[in-house]
Amino acid sequence: MAKFLLLAFRNIFRNRRRTLMTLLMVGGGVTGLLLAGGYFAFMTHGLREDTIRNGLGHLQIFTAEHFRRDEIRVLDTGIENWRQVAATVRTAPHVHGVAPRIEFYGMVSNGQKSSIFMGSAVDPDAERSLGFSTFLTAGKDLDGDQGSDVEALIGAGLAKSMNVKVGDGLTLFAVTSDGALNGVDVQIAGIVESGVAELDARYLRITLPSAQRLLQSDRITNLVVGLDDTANTDAVYNELIPRLSGLPQRMTVKKWIDLATYYKQVHNLFNGIFLFMGVIVFFMVLMSSVNTLLMAMFERTREIGTMLAMGTPRAWIILLLMAEATLLGVLGAAGGLAAGNLLGVLLNASGLHLPPPPGYTVSVPFRVLHVPAMMVSSSILVIVSLALASILPAVRASRLQIVEALAHV
Amino acid sequence: MDDLVSVEAVSRRFPLDHSEVRALDDASLSVERGEFLAIAGPSGSGKSTLLNLMGCIDKPTSGRIVLDGEDTSKLSPARLSAFRREKIGFVFQTFNLIPVFTARENVEFPLLVQGVSADERRHRAMDALESVGIAARAQHRPDLLSGGERQRVAVARAIVHRPALVLADEPTANLDTHNATQLIDLMRELNLTLGLTFIFSTHDQRLLEHTPRIIRLCDGQVVEDMQHAEVVHG
Repeated sequence: MAKFLLLAFRNIFRNRRRTLMTLLMVGGGVTGLLLAGGYFAFMTHGLREDTIRNGLGHLQIFTAEHFRRDEIRVLDTGIENWRQVAATVRTAPHVHGVAPRIEFYGMVSNGQKSSIFMGSAVDPDAERSLGFSTFLTAGKDLDGDQGSDVEALIGAGLAKSMNVKVGDGLTLFAVTSDGALNGVDVQIAGIVESGVAELDARYLRITLPSAQRLLQSDRITNLVVGLDDTANTDAVYNELIPRLSGLPQRMTVKKWIDLATYYKQVHNLFNGIFLFMGVIVFFMVLMSSVNTLLMAMFERTREIGTMLAMGTPRAWIILLLMAEATLLGVLGAAGGLAAGNLLGVLLNASGLHLPPPPGYTVSVPFRVLHVPAMMVSSSILVIVSLALASILPAVRASRLQIVEALAHV
Repeated sequence: MDDLVSVEAVSRRFPLDHSEVRALDDASLSVERGEFLAIAGPSGSGKSTLLNLMGCIDKPTSGRIVLDGEDTSKLSPARLSAFRREKIGFVFQTFNLIPVFTARENVEFPLLVQGVSADERRHRAMDALESVGIAARAQHRPDLLSGGERQRVAVARAIVHRPALVLADEPTANLDTHNATQLIDLMRELNLTLGLTFIFSTHDQRLLEHTPRIIRLCDGQVVEDMQHAEVVHG
């Protein structure tokens, strides 16, 4: 068998120019897939971590009734004894921290103009301890001091539409748990920009005590849990379910992936594009290789006839030609892997930035991640393409009439 | 001596446009084990067709060929392939060596197909190359060998598995007179020393002088079966 493989290996280099062209095509396909896939991986990985660190956290805990809640009176279904729940969660391994939140809606007014806002009430210290960042374009972040109870951060779009700046006063209105309309006065401490224009046009952040005063309730809507590593999400999720089942209020735990709708859409989009590219590379390699391998077979007709005359089983001829194509695929994949990784390193070092995608306001750095699974799948794709491309020429070669093949010029 | 090959009323016709060509027409002959036999005749007389049929790489339109006691017309394609692998050695006009293999690897090929172990293959291939006087060139690829050397390698490849029958179709056609004579002498020597049966075709009259038995073909028919008494036993 070793001799047989040696014959296949040497046959690859009989027509060096043709082999080089095939290797360039196969290697180019792998390189293209690695660069595109590496970029998509960078985008999705970056988006995933951004999504988590921008406040989504790795896990979120709600009451079981939360998702059947009244959007106006959000705390009707809130967590009552949230400090006890948070303490229970903190004892689980890999939990880095827990932050209470109230997600609510209301009206904001500066006396001349009013607008709807999407509010998020936080414990600033807890948020910071989890590494959740706010992208301030002006002013300062909320702090945990007493004075910050009257402060607010607002989205850049909302500030622009309300024509307000840092230091200006605002009145927030929301419906309390009793159904009454309540209001509190706040001062703008800072202006934030998430990069998503639609969010920035509605976003407002205040401290937890401010929101509880506004909504007239001690409850919170959810607890955000930060872990030491995103990879531990499933393990901690499985750990928390039994721990929380013993609490008086029935809880629901959601993983970040269940809440990150935009991330999932982007991830699915990139997967779709990558799959489409893979299909194109597959057919490109398949079609051009069939022709190349048929030419190679045609040139070796007499040699194949000789081998058949000497009693070589026809299956051996099929295996020989398929082995040659597969080896060619292995060499092309190896070359493509080397070129793809090298180009990736060079592109990463170049500091290239791409224009902001639709809906974003900041440019995106161009980085290529080196993903082992993608290297394996791209290599397998081209190797299988070449092996499949060799079936037709190999079967034709095995069916040659010996006398005609020997007379072939 | 017993018959190794028995050709019985064999015809081979090929379709050509709307008619057909009779390449071999009701030919009959027998070859005994250990014979050294030439098939002679002009181009188009049916020499190659007869050798192809005896070599089991073509099937007769009618008649039958019995080789080493086996009616080849009754064998399946797979069995015919195995039959050729074990019983027949081929020497081709254009040498037909595998260009990416060295001389020794080319000679090893029939043993490789038979599943012989690597050590034994190497050993037997070197013996065969030695017997054709080209062992020193064992590591050379065909493109570095002369025409005469290539054909010697081809002969070594044909005898390495000790076949019952060696068929050589115009083995000297691409050689000069000197090399052609040497090749025929070499095949005759192997015939005598190893007891192998050789059948070769040629249209070169000079090569037939030392051939003990000559069968002449003309228009697909056996027209003469001549024995040179003085050279039959070498």
